[in-house]
Amino acid sequence: MADRLTFDSVDCGDVLPEVKQENTQELTWKHAVASLDYNPVHTHPEWCKTAQVFGLPVPVMHGNQTMSLMCKVITDWAYPVGGRMKRIEIKLIKPVPVGSTCTYGGAVTEKHPLGKGEDFVTVEVWAKNQDGEQVGIGTAQVRLPK
Amino acid sequence: MGYLEEMAKYQKTEKQKSFSADFLEAEQVEDYEFWDEIEIGKETEVPIKFEVKAEDMIAYAEGVPDNSPLFYDEEYAKKCGHDGLVAHPLFGTQVAFYVLRKGHGSWLRTPGARNPGQVIEWYDPIRVGDVLTIKQKGYDKWIKRGKYYMRYLQETYDQNGTLKGRAYGTLILPRTREDVLKFVKGEHALEA
Repeated sequence: MADRLTFDSVDCGDVLPEVKQENTQELTWKHAVASLDYNPVHTHPEWCKTAQVFGLPVPVMHGNQTMSLMCKVITDWAYPVGGRMKRIEIKLIKPVPVGSTCTYGGAVTEKHPLGKGEDFVTVEVWAKNQDGEQVGIGTAQVRLPK
Repeated sequence: MGYLEEMAKYQKTEKQKSFSADFLEAEQVEDYEFWDEIEIGKETEVPIKFEVKAEDMIAYAEGVPDNSPLFYDEEYAKKCGHDGLVAHPLFGTQVAFYVLRKGHGSWLRTPGARNPGQVIEWYDPIRVGDVLTIKQKGYDKWIKRGKYYMRYLQETYDQNGTLKGRAYGTLILPRTREDVLKFVKGEHALEA
C-alpha cells in the first residue's frame, strides 16, 4: 500500500492490519458500562451457570463489542486520513466466552469509483477466536479521500 | 464483591451513574418484551432523548477498548480531516440502550435475547452537542430451527431532524413471558 491512504492508492486484495484482543470478565464489564447493555448473559457469572443462554455456563462477550472490534480494523486504517464507514453488515457466528482471545482483520475486495464524492471501497472483515474459528464475518463500505 | 459492585467501579459519566445496571430487578421484568408480543409494523418514537457529551463518546471508545486518539482528542481528529471528536461507529449502542428502557422497541434488553448480526448505515456523523432521538419498528418475525427471530429498523435523528443512521437489527428472543421469567430466574428457556 502507498504511504498515504487514498481511494486511488487502494487495491483489491490489500490486507488491513489485524487487531488482537483478549476478552476477560473485567473487559466485558467495562463494555457493559460503556454500552449500557447490562444483560446478565454478559455481566452475571452466577446467573450464566444455570441460564446458559448460549449453552455455555459462562458469560459471553457482547455481540456489539465483537462488531466494535471488527470496526476498529477499519477505523485504525481509514479514519486517520479522514475516511468514514458508510455501511457495515455483520453476521455473528459463534459466541465468544469470557477468557477467549480473538483476532480481527479484513481485506479490500471491491472498489466503487462512483465520482461526485461517492467513491467507496468494500472491505471484508472477520473475527476469529484463539482456535482459528470464525466468530464473526462481515462486509463494510468505506469512503476514502481522493 | 458482587457483579453490580464490580461494574460500578467503571461508571464515570453522568449517564452511566444514573442508569440502572440491574436488568434483573423486579420493576424492569414486567416491561421486557418477548417474541409473541412483538407487533410488526408499529413504529415508536422513543420519548427519551440522548444529549451527546464528549464524555459519552469517550466512554464508549474506552469500553471497546479502542485507544485511537480520534475518539479522545478533538484537535487530532480535526487534523485527520474530521470536523470534531469522532464517535466510534458503534456508539449508537449506548444511545439505544440509554433511551430504550421500556415499552415497544426495548426488546434488545430482554434477558435471553441473542444477537445474530446487524446492518448499520451511517449518513451523518454524530457530534458533541447533538440531541438524538430514536424511531424504531419491528418489520419481520419468523421461526427457524426452533428459534424465534425478529428484525427491526432503528433510525437515529438529531435535533434538526437530520437522519444520522439506520440500523437493521436481528434478535432471537424468548417466545413467551413465561420464558422471559425463566431467564430472569436463571433457568434455561431458549427452546421454549
